[in-house]
Amino acid sequence: MEDFWTGVLWALKIWLYLIVSLIMIPAMFGFSLGISETYMTILVKTLEWATLKIQKAHADEQELKDLASNGLIKRDNGSMEKELGELRRSRPKPPVGGDFTLSDSFYFTRRGIESIVEDEVTQRFSSEELVSWNLLTRTNNDFQYISLRLTLVYGLGIFVRYCILAPLRITLACIGLTWLVIGTSAVGLLPDWRIKSWISEWVHVMCYRICARGLSATIHYHNRENKPKKGGICVANHTSPIDIVILCNDGCYAMVGQVHGGLMGVVQRAMVRSCPHVWFERAEMKDRHLVTKRLRDHVNDKKKLPILIFPEGTCINNTSVMMFKKGSFEIGGTIYPVAIKYDPKFGDAFWNSSKYSMVSYLLRMMTSWALVCNVWYLPPMHQKEGEDAVQFANRVKSAIAHQGGLVDLQWDGGLKRAKVKESFKEQEQKKYSSMVVGEDSHSD
Amino acid sequence: MGAAPTRIGQQDPELVERTGFSPEQINNLHKRFLQLSGNKDTISRENLNDIPALAYNPIKSQIIEAFFDKRNQHDSEVGSLEEITFQQFLMVMSHFRPPTLEMTAEEKEAMRKEKLRFLFNMHDTDGDGKITLEEYRKVVEELLSSGSIEQESAKEITDAAMLEVASTNVPHMGPEDFYEGITFEHFEQILKGLEMESRMHIRFLDTATVHCGKS
Repeated sequence: MEDFWTGVLWALKIWLYLIVSLIMIPAMFGFSLGISETYMTILVKTLEWATLKIQKAHADEQELKDLASNGLIKRDNGSMEKELGELRRSRPKPPVGGDFTLSDSFYFTRRGIESIVEDEVTQRFSSEELVSWNLLTRTNNDFQYISLRLTLVYGLGIFVRYCILAPLRITLACIGLTWLVIGTSAVGLLPDWRIKSWISEWVHVMCYRICARGLSATIHYHNRENKPKKGGICVANHTSPIDIVILCNDGCYAMVGQVHGGLMGVVQRAMVRSCPHVWFERAEMKDRHLVTKRLRDHVNDKKKLPILIFPEGTCINNTSVMMFKKGSFEIGGTIYPVAIKYDPKFGDAFWNSSKYSMVSYLLRMMTSWALVCNVWYLPPMHQKEGEDAVQFANRVKSAIAHQGGLVDLQWDGGLKRAKVKESFKEQEQKKYSSMVVGEDSHSD
Repeated sequence: MGAAPTRIGQQDPELVERTGFSPEQINNLHKRFLQLSGNKDTISRENLNDIPALAYNPIKSQIIEAFFDKRNQHDSEVGSLEEITFQQFLMVMSHFRPPTLEMTAEEKEAMRKEKLRFLFNMHDTDGDGKITLEEYRKVVEELLSSGSIEQESAKEITDAAMLEVASTNVPHMGPEDFYEGITFEHFEQILKGLEMESRMHIRFLDTATVHCGKS
């Protein structure tokens, strides 16, 4: 019995030493031993092979269509006037009263049914559909048995992901978080030397690097010359809480957010000891002026780190960018837009907060193949003369959507939980009534 | 796994026959159904109400009501349902299929009648088989916003339209006769010349997801 326990202890020690030397030390100093690169190459080759196999198996069926560009239905995007005019053409105008015919309601009925079948917004709050299966159980919708080899690879994949990768990643994540808390608190105890901010940045980046290794994240940064500088505001599209880890791997930012309790609260309090982040109490969040003032004070202090803000306000599934809330754009200062695009082949990064809790989401992340994403730093933008906050926000949003290859939508991400205002319906009604009543204003 | 059985088009050939959709289209619509219902088996009015794009539509409530109307289920029952299953959802959608090239003239005529029936049911809210003045006025009021035009204008428009219908269908009506309401035959008559085929259908695309194995 004793031998067994000593054996286990010994194995655990080896395990930890391996992790520390092979993963943590390189992470701390920012170089790489090439292990993850090798893993990624093997992974990519395997997935390509699997895709080819799947395609070959039904080469006689219809060819693969790109689901993202075809919708479910083909819409006639004519304007209301044009379509109503066409509907009415076959009937003579009634001689008396307004220009209203029963057939007008047909147009609205059809538009309504089209919206029920497919609308731009509802689909953004669930995970993106894959064109080809990526050997994960969770994306296994339509797929059936093809060949023995494919099933074997799939089975091997499950074993590798759950028994080897997941414990490794969980260990790393725990180490990373603990180190973050300890490190930042330790830095906070130092007196205010100039070197303190340098050390605090180093500690932050190091811990985020460990966390990124904990997710097997491969990040490609583009245009690093546009990286956000001190005293600026960094703005990005939001897909999941992991966005923070992704961005902070390459630089230090000041976070903005609500004060939480529990583990998050501990992390928040530790972080704020070493360098100033902006945490708000729940009650303070309601007061927009207070929020803007605090952020403005932070931005105006050129020695402080750039603020990281996600103006969408909620997680979107990384196929589109939704309305940016104008609050972040009223602060002033330079805006540094950043576009983040995840590669869905290796794992779905979207956090569907109504479906999964934070913990189960993180576990899902740790049992995916890997996390591959591209980060583009866009050139800084300023608010132009005569441009109001909303227009500025839309301009930034378009730039981000364009760079990341995402769809630029005008809808509010808050629609995930709330309903559309009645005023939209009134707009359509006004338009229609001006057609019916306005045209005929000379007849009575 | 959490993934719903999406081979429903293949599993239920009866659906294909009754609704006229291809198995592909049924699968796609099933995915949409699950999206709207939050992965449950039935949809309630609330789920349809939550669609943002529908909020733009002035007759949103009539359209939603049409889904829950028993008359649109090709039965002869009247009344409304509380929640609908996927089969019932498909039945309502099948009213909007476009005519195919292989259809005979009679089939096209039957399809047109079906579409007209659907629209008639949407206007005839109490299900008595007639669109009365009240019901008609309600539609007009919904379409024209209640703020920008007055009640009087809506009333005028409705009365004028009803008058026109009456004069077209009952040419010898005396001044004391009371026109009860537009029946389905009258409705058809009014809209006889209307070129509906191209305006009242939705073109469903055939997008195929990747299928492994033999199907």
